[in-house]
Amino acid sequence: MTRPASSQKAIVSSMRIMLTRWIVTGILVILAVVTLYPLIFTVINSMKTRAAYSADPLGFFTDLTFDNYIETFQRMQVPRLLLNSLITTAGGLVLSTVAALFIAYAVTKLKMRGGNYIFLFIIAMLVIPSQVIIYPLYETILDLGFGGTYQGLILAYAAFGLPLGTYLLSAYFRAIPDELIEAARLDGAGDIRILFSILLPISTPAIAALSILNFVWMWNDLLLPLVIMGGSDKKTLMVGVALLSGQYDVSIPLISAGLIIALAPVIVVYMLFQRQILSGAIAGAVR
Amino acid sequence: MAELANLASRPNRAEVARRPFIRRETLIALLFVLPGLALAILFKLVPLLRGIWLSFLETRGFEDPTFAGLANYRTMLSDPSVHDSFRNALIAFATLPVWIILPLVLAFLLFQKTPGWKFFRAAFFLPYIIAPIVVGIMFRQILAPDGPLNAVLRAIGLAPLAIEWLNGPTSALLALTAVALWSFFGLGVLTYLSGLSTVSEEVVEAAKLDGARFWQLLVYIIMPLLKSVIGYWAVLCTSGILIWMFPLIYALTKGGPGTATVLPEFLVFTTTFQFLDRGLGAAIGMALFVFVALVSAFVVRRMYIEGSQRK
Amino acid sequence: MKPTPFATGKRSRSVRTMLAGLAFASMTAFAGQAAQAQDVTTIRVLNWEPGGADYWKALVAEFEKLNPTIKVELETVPFDRYPEVQGPYITTKSGPDVMENNAGLELFDRRRAYEELPPEVLEAGKDLITYSGGCLNFDTTKPCYGLPFGYQGNVMYYNKKVLAEAGLDAANPPKTWDEMGAACEKVKAVGKTCLAIGLSGVFPAYWNFPEIARNYLTEDDMRAMLAGKMPWTDPKMVNILKGLASITQAGWTNSSAPSITMLPDGADIFQSGNAAFAGTIISDAANWAAFGKILGDENLGAMRWPTIVADAPLAGSFSGIESSVFGVSSWSEKKEAGFAFVKFIAGKENAALLSSIAGGISLNKNVDPSILPKSEALTQILEIIKKPTLHAGVLLSGQEADALARGWQEVSLGRLSIEDWTGRMQKALEQSPSKRQ
Repeated sequence: MTRPASSQKAIVSSMRIMLTRWIVTGILVILAVVTLYPLIFTVINSMKTRAAYSADPLGFFTDLTFDNYIETFQRMQVPRLLLNSLITTAGGLVLSTVAALFIAYAVTKLKMRGGNYIFLFIIAMLVIPSQVIIYPLYETILDLGFGGTYQGLILAYAAFGLPLGTYLLSAYFRAIPDELIEAARLDGAGDIRILFSILLPISTPAIAALSILNFVWMWNDLLLPLVIMGGSDKKTLMVGVALLSGQYDVSIPLISAGLIIALAPVIVVYMLFQRQILSGAIAGAVR
Repeated sequence: MAELANLASRPNRAEVARRPFIRRETLIALLFVLPGLALAILFKLVPLLRGIWLSFLETRGFEDPTFAGLANYRTMLSDPSVHDSFRNALIAFATLPVWIILPLVLAFLLFQKTPGWKFFRAAFFLPYIIAPIVVGIMFRQILAPDGPLNAVLRAIGLAPLAIEWLNGPTSALLALTAVALWSFFGLGVLTYLSGLSTVSEEVVEAAKLDGARFWQLLVYIIMPLLKSVIGYWAVLCTSGILIWMFPLIYALTKGGPGTATVLPEFLVFTTTFQFLDRGLGAAIGMALFVFVALVSAFVVRRMYIEGSQRK
Repeated sequence: MKPTPFATGKRSRSVRTMLAGLAFASMTAFAGQAAQAQDVTTIRVLNWEPGGADYWKALVAEFEKLNPTIKVELETVPFDRYPEVQGPYITTKSGPDVMENNAGLELFDRRRAYEELPPEVLEAGKDLITYSGGCLNFDTTKPCYGLPFGYQGNVMYYNKKVLAEAGLDAANPPKTWDEMGAACEKVKAVGKTCLAIGLSGVFPAYWNFPEIARNYLTEDDMRAMLAGKMPWTDPKMVNILKGLASITQAGWTNSSAPSITMLPDGADIFQSGNAAFAGTIISDAANWAAFGKILGDENLGAMRWPTIVADAPLAGSFSGIESSVFGVSSWSEKKEAGFAFVKFIAGKENAALLSSIAGGISLNKNVDPSILPKSEALTQILEIIKKPTLHAGVLLSGQEADALARGWQEVSLGRLSIEDWTGRMQKALEQSPSKRQ
């Protein structure tokens, strides 16, 4: 008597699980479409002629053309801008990480008087919204003679990336037992060696996470490079895109091609290191 | 450069010989914090102080400024668009729970190894790496009255929802927030997934056997376990939300219609660069600084407790 | 406890590493300043590339050919990002030797950043149809800070195909506000937008406002506006706001108007053949060329905006303005080279390049009209610009331009009354640093 009822129950519940599965998958699929579609839409637009776009902005496949890319390349000096973006992003990335490493080490592992205040000071800088200080910041950079130079932008990037880096690395170092450092010190290791050959390898996940966050925003930032580099030949790819879309005689397909060119390097990095980025790197941010 | 290094190291070598250990430690620690400190002071603190000073000046276009006391602050307080901008910022901050919960729910769904979860994880993260200015220009087409979004809504029989998204005061602000969320939720999903990977599956399975539903699992089991991860993500969202939205406003609405999507940051920007009233722009900037500091004080406190030296 | 030699060595190494890190910046600072050859002066020119990249490439080549001792380094910034770059240069008195600004209030606001042009440079202005927009208060007897090269102003383009489709006579586009209203009803009846427009950004102030203003203001009124002596509560000014409001309230426009910008979105509606009319400009953007290329030259026409008050003194005039002017920055150490460049900008060699490469309309009287590309709309434009007057748009301050656009957006969405709009405009005027009495 009870048997059929319970098996019926089991069927109902397994059906419910199935149904839930389908609903969940359905929701995830819709979300994935929502996240991917804008990019696909832009890629398609970038391969339309101006006339084809005007006639049918939503259409998928009209006559595809690469003319927009050719014209964008001609207008934008892509290789030079790419180089500029690489230099400034790499410089900012390295400098901010190294500075953050030093600070994190000093405030967590060296018994430094006032170390906590320095730590507080650095992370408090996180709440200064960039727009608030943007004008005086540019003035300061110009006063320092760094206007239109790589190092001006690199230093600014480093300063803006510093609070989060210091926070992440300090929290990470804090979890590393002091005994490890004491032992190394007894072996005669200096601070630099302790930092770079003991703490650095342990905190690779944190540094990787930090690097991804910093790489993405430094590469994509528009405001800092725009004013620090101005319109000089050291401007970054993003400024180039803004320059393109600011011109009067452009069309949406042409702008789209510019957007895709600016995106391509980041997308390539993402594709190449997808596994590391997705499974490992962000893990460093959380312990 | 080498000379400079010698100059710095020679006298302290003598000093060290006289008074060992503590002085040496302090000196090294100081040198370690120096580069970062210099960066923070030169490119953050000094500009902030200059901004404060500027807010007390009257600036007529590009003529030499004169001291104006609190005049800029008085102008600011009587300006309705300033009120609107802070109201909009509050509304943006009010969406924070969505920013924090949505990625958590999605991460938990993926964590249960839903078929294809690796693909979803990769897809969700993709928007994050796209530059905000690019996102803004892209969504200008997508949110257009006859753009793809409304085309889909009409196709699935939701024509009444196919509104002019950027025309309505509320819908414009919410659309902007949604676009910002589109950009950043993937980072949250990934962050939570990393946290979840430290949760043992047995705990989840045991709770399931006890008959815990999805929401019960999430609220009573997962959330307490992920407290520090949720805290970290909240830090990122709180400190980032206004900064993230600025380029979107710039590319999508320019603060319109009217002042519906003007945020304080955008107002600082237009007042300074478009209206050439740098003094007033700095004053609004200071108000924003105080506002953000208040909102994110708990965030900084959290970070401080986590990272500072335990006594 | 004496430190061991070993520990000391470690420490001083760490000291050196630290300092090296700090010095990173200052070391690289020198690397960037490789000396130029002694006999060549290099000037930096801040610009937004009006007329396009090809034209500017040719312009620099021509200038360097004529002035072998001067090299030009272009610093090109997007038009809509220009103030962000130029502002800090001016307040820190550093940066480019030659700068570009829009003629009118934008230039006057920044006059402290410019060197007054000496008479021998102004000599080049004599060959121009006008250069008053580079001089204080549009008065060539007052100090002049920059010289222009191109002519700019507003016209309304129309798509003859759409007009024909709506049963209108494409050879006789509407001339008055009433005719425009009637035409729009017919265009709407065939399911198209009558007037493509975007109310976001600075476009309403520069592209739409002056065309309505001509119906109510005299040139003296406009000069009063510039001086901040024309209150927005004046009935004439209120009428302009009412005229603007009538465009959107009568339903002539695309529904997305309050939230889009005229470029590229509004212009795209016109280009897609979905609108009958679009109010844009005559050159730089070379809009007749861009529109003609996509709609077909034979389908494109250009006309003066329809008049609201047909017998107003300026109703039949063209709101013309020097497109932009170039001047020498006050802090430049290469002023002579800068002046040479400014003189070249206004000269006839540059005028020929502007017409032949950028398809722009030059201000220089000595340019051969036959080198301009052939287009029906262009022929119409050349006729329209023969009766110029002041351009009311460039007399608006940044605050006024912003309040105008935002107010219009809210008025067309039915959330703001004309009275409140007027109040906001007046407040914007009172808050404008450049117009404070």
